[in-house]
Amino acid sequence: MPLKTEHKASALASVPLFQGISQDSMARLAAVTGEQEFEPGQNIVLQGQVGSGLYVILEGSARVLRGSEVVAQLGPNDFFGELSVIDQMPRMASVQAVQRTRCLALASWDLLDLLESDPKLALNMIKGLATRIREQGEQHQH
Amino acid sequence: MALTATQLVDTLSGLTLFADLSRPQLEQVAHKMTEESYPVGQRILRQGFTGTGFYVILDGEVTIKIDGEERARLQKGDFFGEMSILLGEPPVADVVTTRQLHVLHLGGPELEGFLRDHPMVMYRMLKTIALRLYNVSRTRG
Repeated sequence: MPLKTEHKASALASVPLFQGISQDSMARLAAVTGEQEFEPGQNIVLQGQVGSGLYVILEGSARVLRGSEVVAQLGPNDFFGELSVIDQMPRMASVQAVQRTRCLALASWDLLDLLESDPKLALNMIKGLATRIREQGEQHQH
Repeated sequence: MALTATQLVDTLSGLTLFADLSRPQLEQVAHKMTEESYPVGQRILRQGFTGTGFYVILDGEVTIKIDGEERARLQKGDFFGEMSILLGEPPVADVVTTRQLHVLHLGGPELEGFLRDHPMVMYRMLKTIALRLYNVSRTRG
């Protein structure tokens, strides 16, 4: 059964990129977000490939692989590909489904369409990213 | 060495930040922003002090220094000053010219409205800032 928009919105709210955006913008974002299912062993994203989307895990589990080394385990509410949704940067790692895994998937081109019609969303995202760069900078200094 | 209006629009059309704008939109940008020149060794933003504006480099080079240590160099097409304006916080770095600098300047209070008027400029800026975060964090696939 497909998820309702408000359920998608609450899953997307766990992604830092979308913190501080209005409910209105979040509802529009949720409306263009799809669902995808992956079988155990199936790659969700591949290391080195150009990323074009953000995924939030709804159900199941996945592992993050760099080469053949498992560097993290992911479960419900975990997300990946956050920044590749904005710019098509190469994936730093592969993510492979361990169990049958259901994800929310937001494609970069859908986000772009939305950003063009909702400057407030883009502005909030810029402010959020700028804050995180500052925090990273401060960590480096200590 | 101020450019003619046509030269300025031609220069802007070659910068990534403005790549999606039509000629009339580029003319608006050129009209809204002020052309400025700075000699070598000039400090344009000062770490810890109030930010004074958003700058887009037309020609020349600046160095970005945090606590006296160089972190980056910016050249034609790069921009700076937006972080402290958007966050309402003082700059975290010094920005000092290393070559004669030719920039377009927009006053701090005008930046938000400017970006809202030009969503594609904002999107380009968002990409650049995301790339900066990607380069400092690189933790997840």
